[in-house]
Amino acid sequence: MGNKFFFKNLIIHVLLIAGSTAMLLPFYWMVSTSLKTGANVAKLPPQWIPSPFVWSNFSEVWLKVDFARYTLNSFLIVTADIVGMLLSCSMVAFGMAMFNFKLKKFLYFGMLATLMLPFQVTMIPGYFIWTSFGALNTYYPLIVPSFLGGSFGIFLLHQFYKSTTKELYEAATIDGCGPWTVLWKIYFPLSRAVLSALAVFTFMGAWSNTIGPLLYLQDKELFTLPLGLLFLRSDVGMEQQILMAAAVIVTLPVVVVFLFAQKQFVEGIASTGLKG
Amino acid sequence: MRREARWGYILTLPFTVHLLVFFAFPFFFSLYLTFTQWDMFNAPAWIGGKNWVRLLDDRSFWSSLRNILLFALVFVPLQTILALVLAFFLNQSIRAKSFYRVIYFLPVVTPWLAGGTMWGWMMNKTYGLANYLLGLLSLPPVDWLDSKHWVLPITSVALVNVWKGVGSSMIILLAAIQGVPKDLYEASSLEGASRWSMFWHIVFPIVSPMIFLVLILSTISAFQAFDVFLVMFNAPNIVPDSKVTPNILIYKDAFLTTKMGYASAMSWALFIVIMAVTLVQKRFEKRWVHYG
Repeated sequence: MGNKFFFKNLIIHVLLIAGSTAMLLPFYWMVSTSLKTGANVAKLPPQWIPSPFVWSNFSEVWLKVDFARYTLNSFLIVTADIVGMLLSCSMVAFGMAMFNFKLKKFLYFGMLATLMLPFQVTMIPGYFIWTSFGALNTYYPLIVPSFLGGSFGIFLLHQFYKSTTKELYEAATIDGCGPWTVLWKIYFPLSRAVLSALAVFTFMGAWSNTIGPLLYLQDKELFTLPLGLLFLRSDVGMEQQILMAAAVIVTLPVVVVFLFAQKQFVEGIASTGLKG
Repeated sequence: MRREARWGYILTLPFTVHLLVFFAFPFFFSLYLTFTQWDMFNAPAWIGGKNWVRLLDDRSFWSSLRNILLFALVFVPLQTILALVLAFFLNQSIRAKSFYRVIYFLPVVTPWLAGGTMWGWMMNKTYGLANYLLGLLSLPPVDWLDSKHWVLPITSVALVNVWKGVGSSMIILLAAIQGVPKDLYEASSLEGASRWSMFWHIVFPIVSPMIFLVLILSTISAFQAFDVFLVMFNAPNIVPDSKVTPNILIYKDAFLTTKMGYASAMSWALFIVIMAVTLVQKRFEKRWVHYG
């Protein structure tokens, strides 16, 4: 019996490891290629471990193609998005969870509707709105919407606020605090765990965002990392080892954040059934 | 106004603005645009149903629908089945569970631009690792991405999409499987049921509503595929009909040739197709989904 159990688990492990290899191979191949010389990239049979190791591919991407600038831009936008999302979603979710008002039903409906409508339907009018504000080629179109709340974050925080007891709110108001103070002094710190999950989701979403920067940014100095990589790719003469070094730079921050925050991330998805 | 209601309105104001300005207005304005010709500089010119008639006759658009249909047909079932198998495996009492979970999830958080760049290189016809590995098995090389015929490039991209997305479906299904009561397993293992029949008779019916949700979500995302095609085929610069998707066409028409009215009509057509597909899935739901 024990032996049979071991054997069955062995098969599962073999299958899982085979699958893991398929998952990780592209990552390995990216890193490996990014450290090769141009001549070794096109070698057949392929060179599994680069020899010699060439770090200059990275400095070329970092300095010559200006990925240093793009990285800074990406971090700037992502940070603003996170701050905006945490503040606005807390406010809106608190308002919906704690107070009764006539238009609340419409907000619920709106939350669902934004999740279901394809982005492309609202894309052109959205572009038109920002153009009429003269906000083309600025970061406003990428940042301002975050300060107006997002369905996913509102949903997460709303569920959390609903799960707290009514007594907590009453006790706080009896002390003479208004709703505004109660929200920021008591509920906001209380929801730390949910907020950190939301921050991780926002980071991942904003870091990977391609269509937004593609629509709104024109000057190369304003580019984000994904946009920089997209334009690097369409540069025909670009060599694979340079492209791969660029891809490593785009990937590394999300992988690091994910490894540190994987618990929040995975549980956030599992509990809501939604991607960020 | 009661004090309570006033606070409700004040606190939710940001999202109200969001819904009105970036959702409700764009929704109706875009519907209006489908009946106009518009370059975004002059006022939209009403042309009635001309965009829609033209759409029926547009070869590129039909090709893009054909492509995206094949893409969804390869991607959705494959991803869902793999995710289900993985979730079932990871629910067993095995070691290193969280380690596997992290690995399968890694592509989910990887930006498409990077993931697509990796796979474009993996699937390079001459120097790509994929063909090298096929060669080791004495199989002929495959022209994954550059084949002139539409089936192969679209299938390749669908496979890459499975790599990218299987982890997130897996996590959702794993959470559902973990909700299956333990004593159900114990009862059936006492009766000597195999893992396969346990899966089929106990786990599957209980998890089926979640499988349905995953199917709906991944189908919708498949029909909206954009980033993956953008990066795998270096779109939107020059994309032949064999590699185009509705969203690439919409982007191209709206922002490279500024045919905003026609692009809006395409976006609504895609919206309608997605709703129709979702309704069809909903119809078949009763045949296999069990609600407790």
